[in-house]
Amino acid sequence: MKRRRSRYYGLIPVILVAAGLWFADMRVFARQNSGKQTTSSPSLSAENTEKTGEQVFMENCSRCHRPPMTISPRTTGTIVMHMRVRAKLSRQDERILLQYLAP
Amino acid sequence: MKIPLLAACILLCTAQLGAQDAETDSNHAGYVPVLSGGIGYISNVSGGTSTLQPAIDPVLLLPLGRHVLGESRAEFVGIFQRRNGNGDYTGQVFSAVDYAQIDWLANTHVIVVAGKYITPFGLYSERLVPIWIATFQNVPLTYSIGTRTSGAGVGGQLRGVVLQTNKYSVQYAAYYSAHSNAYQWEAARTTGFDASVYFPAHRIEAGISYQRFLDPKQINSEAVYLSWQPPKIPLDTKAEYDHSYYGRGYWIQTTYTLSQVPVANSFFKRMELAGRLEQVFPLNGGGHGVPGIDTQRAGGALNYYLKDNLRIVSSYQRQFSSAKDVNVWNIGFTYRFVWPLWPGGK
Repeated sequence: MKRRRSRYYGLIPVILVAAGLWFADMRVFARQNSGKQTTSSPSLSAENTEKTGEQVFMENCSRCHRPPMTISPRTTGTIVMHMRVRAKLSRQDERILLQYLAP
Repeated sequence: MKIPLLAACILLCTAQLGAQDAETDSNHAGYVPVLSGGIGYISNVSGGTSTLQPAIDPVLLLPLGRHVLGESRAEFVGIFQRRNGNGDYTGQVFSAVDYAQIDWLANTHVIVVAGKYITPFGLYSERLVPIWIATFQNVPLTYSIGTRTSGAGVGGQLRGVVLQTNKYSVQYAAYYSAHSNAYQWEAARTTGFDASVYFPAHRIEAGISYQRFLDPKQINSEAVYLSWQPPKIPLDTKAEYDHSYYGRGYWIQTTYTLSQVPVANSFFKRMELAGRLEQVFPLNGGGHGVPGIDTQRAGGALNYYLKDNLRIVSSYQRQFSSAKDVNVWNIGFTYRFVWPLWPGGK
């Protein structure tokens, strides 16, 4: 019985991490919906006013490559997801970038 | 018992994704699978030896919802040299899977990466290697420090933004790689992190990387790097210092786009001039990609963008070492493509 229980111990960290991420994000989601805070995370402080899409683009994408002249709206979401991983974009920057590239 | 627990986990994650989707649904961005990447053809002359290097690096992007992304990059590179120095060109094509990973974009602070990933070490490996991005078509002499030869790990990685304000943002990546001998999934047991701070007003980024190589000999590798794109000048300066058991060295590269030339601006704004200086000093005999003797390289590049995704690249570098001084020439073209693999999107 003890051996059987110990087999499930490995799942505990997975559950904790998943639950932690879920609750952390739901808290932010609730804040955004109630209009108390416009930033997408508790650590994105109140002084962080909204940037323009061009600003976000120049500050992040242009660090590595020239801006592409055209991006098909069909692929924009996928490309920005890829760049969010590669360039470690915040969700707020991702949202502004999507609005800028595919309004 | 195990299956319900796993099901509960998946349910939690799915609920999380649903909540996030509702949050970001105010644009017209499509999320179709994408085949992207670069194609290049480079003619290289190094120390009088001519090599033709056609290359295709396709990147496959498969979004699963808006917060899970499967992505992979393969590399097909041909190395063709003249038989006996002046005969026909002969050679072979090498293929490799650079990375094949699943990303869960959980929130701003945490992106979970699992699979084979590019080692986040220094400026070059993750960001400047793609042929359509690289200003110089050869990697710096210190490139193998922190990435060894494969430049990839197999395991897990967490990355994201620690905090972000209008004045600065702090980003991180931390990883653990297991040992793997599986075909196309070769990796060594390593752990490490990369952290950087970016000041958007000045467009300055400063970062550090650390890696503990655990397999078979335990060694440390460290890097510090700086990237600067002054807002009012079309200049891009990047520099990195690397150190490991096998050697130490640095590279500094500056690229200037001639968009401020007042005459024939439509011609000159497509042109960029670059210079790179690099030095490497082996320690403990060097090896594992680090030259065995002190080596310096200096040179310039001239690239011209015919279109925003098609450019002619050229560079000349002089390499100095106690064994031999050689000239390194590169000329060719690179092309970046982005193709949707599925109709639709909004």
